[in-house]
Amino acid sequence: MNENKYDLKKIGQIALLVYILCMAVFTVGAYNVIFQSINKALYVGIVILGAIIIGFYFAYLQWCDKHNKKSLGIYFIRTYCKYQFLIEQLVTRDFKIKYKRSILGVFWSFLNPLLMMLVQYFVFVTIMKFEIPHYAIYLLCGIVIFNGFNDCTTQSMRSITGNATLITKVYVPKYIYPISKVCSASINILLSMAPLLLVTFVYGLFNDLYLKPSILLLPFALITLIIFIMGMGFLLSSLMVFFHDIEFLWGVVASMWMYATPIIYDINTIAVGKLSWVASIIKLNPMYHYVEFVRSIIISGTSPALSEYVICLAYSFGMFAIGAFVFKKTQDKFVLYI
Amino acid sequence: MYPLYLYKEMSNQCEVSMDKKKVMIKVDNVSMRFRMSNDRITSIKEMVTQTLKGKVKFKEFYALKDASFEIYKGEVVGIIGRNGAGKSTILKIISGILKPTTGTVTRNGNIVPMLELGSGFDYDLSGRENIFLNGAILGYSKQFLKEKYNEIVEFSELGDFIEMPIRNYSSGMLMRLAFSIATVVNPEILIVDEILAVGDENFQKKSYARMMELMSGGTTVLFVSHNMDQIREMCNRVVWLDGGTVKMAGETKEICDVYKI
Repeated sequence: MNENKYDLKKIGQIALLVYILCMAVFTVGAYNVIFQSINKALYVGIVILGAIIIGFYFAYLQWCDKHNKKSLGIYFIRTYCKYQFLIEQLVTRDFKIKYKRSILGVFWSFLNPLLMMLVQYFVFVTIMKFEIPHYAIYLLCGIVIFNGFNDCTTQSMRSITGNATLITKVYVPKYIYPISKVCSASINILLSMAPLLLVTFVYGLFNDLYLKPSILLLPFALITLIIFIMGMGFLLSSLMVFFHDIEFLWGVVASMWMYATPIIYDINTIAVGKLSWVASIIKLNPMYHYVEFVRSIIISGTSPALSEYVICLAYSFGMFAIGAFVFKKTQDKFVLYI
Repeated sequence: MYPLYLYKEMSNQCEVSMDKKKVMIKVDNVSMRFRMSNDRITSIKEMVTQTLKGKVKFKEFYALKDASFEIYKGEVVGIIGRNGAGKSTILKIISGILKPTTGTVTRNGNIVPMLELGSGFDYDLSGRENIFLNGAILGYSKQFLKEKYNEIVEFSELGDFIEMPIRNYSSGMLMRLAFSIATVVNPEILIVDEILAVGDENFQKKSYARMMELMSGGTTVLFVSHNMDQIREMCNRVVWLDGGTVKMAGETKEICDVYKI
């Protein structure tokens, strides 16, 4: 009943294809930045080297599989095949239930951010005035990204306590719950990109702001953000089991975090003068980097500096490692405290 | 009365004949300790105040203490004991839900635990969607569920109701659906907490027959019951738990006779 059928050759081919596609998108999107800092031949060399490494790694995995040797890659593929169906089911459950009894259904995923944008646009653009070019879009980018983050973390925080009945009755690896919750919640982040781009497009027609090829880099920002959220989800959901106060505390922390992220204001205005130390603290905030990344793609129409890529990746995988570590250490005690 | 060495030889012979069979579950010196504080502390404030007052005292409580036994392929093993003897705890440990404080459990083969039916149901989804959701939670593959879908619906006798959200189901309908999903597989190891007979008289007969079919089909069964007649009728061996320790383990008749007294 639990056959783990997987075809390593096929998976290897897909991985290689995905890699080539990613590199192509990256090259087109970040054309200027790449060739300012590295010369062409070196870049092409690095890209080809990456492809060769992937090819060899999968050849190695195939060899391991034949000789029944253990390896991390095969372990991952096996676990994925085993639980992919369960995750798929849990994600569809979350998604279906969310809109099951509403008339407009999934359409709310588009409508909700759109309406929110209108409200906030009205408040901040017409009542308060900031001297930032394309302030409306500047604001909306920040709001959409941060709301997505807030929504996802809050939902994934409850993923363990919310599934208490299941955890105490059936054995399923516990990390499945936060992962599936983050997956279902982050679908909303992806969907809310549609109204954001739509608004940008319409606004741009009147204010000379056009979407450029750099928009192709948006998936990078979103994927790193989602990995970061997954780390937060692991951390918060395991803490939540032991201290239910986290639920209320997180509301406060999230709003503090929101003000520590330059969503309504511009960091450059406080970077000079007395408050410059605040600005340097804000620059440590991971959300600042994700938000600025998206803004740079959409408003400036250029890719951020290469160092920004490294920073985003470091934050997301760092957070993921911390979250996964805490989760793994505490997961055996969940059953006793739920 | 035999001399001591004869006893030893007899037990050795016993082990040899047992060794021929494959060990499916091996419970080795398993202890499960729970900590009971006066109130469970689930907030930071409480923890700080209680620690400051020096009030955090844990009463230690062993639900299981050094329990060891083995279960061989094809056996039907009954677990008996009074309330609070650790029967449910040992089932939860074997099915992997609880992790023992000390000791190890080795399992050879896929386990289908039937501890509580329908715990993975979501009441806003339809019966059809719940079959797939619950099946996935129990570890069935997509392919398998698609093949067996009709069989499940047919067994549950739900007919057209299968497309309705299950919050509208009666409790009997829910149990029928849950039972049909859980028993559609032929697992290598089946763990049963009380024989389940659900629904009306007709369905009870049917579900009882299905349970018997599952248990007789070469499956290794671990089975908790308070009904001694059922135990005598079905089990090859019995493990008697008392206060978290294995008091006796052996042939059904032998132990049931002692247990009665």
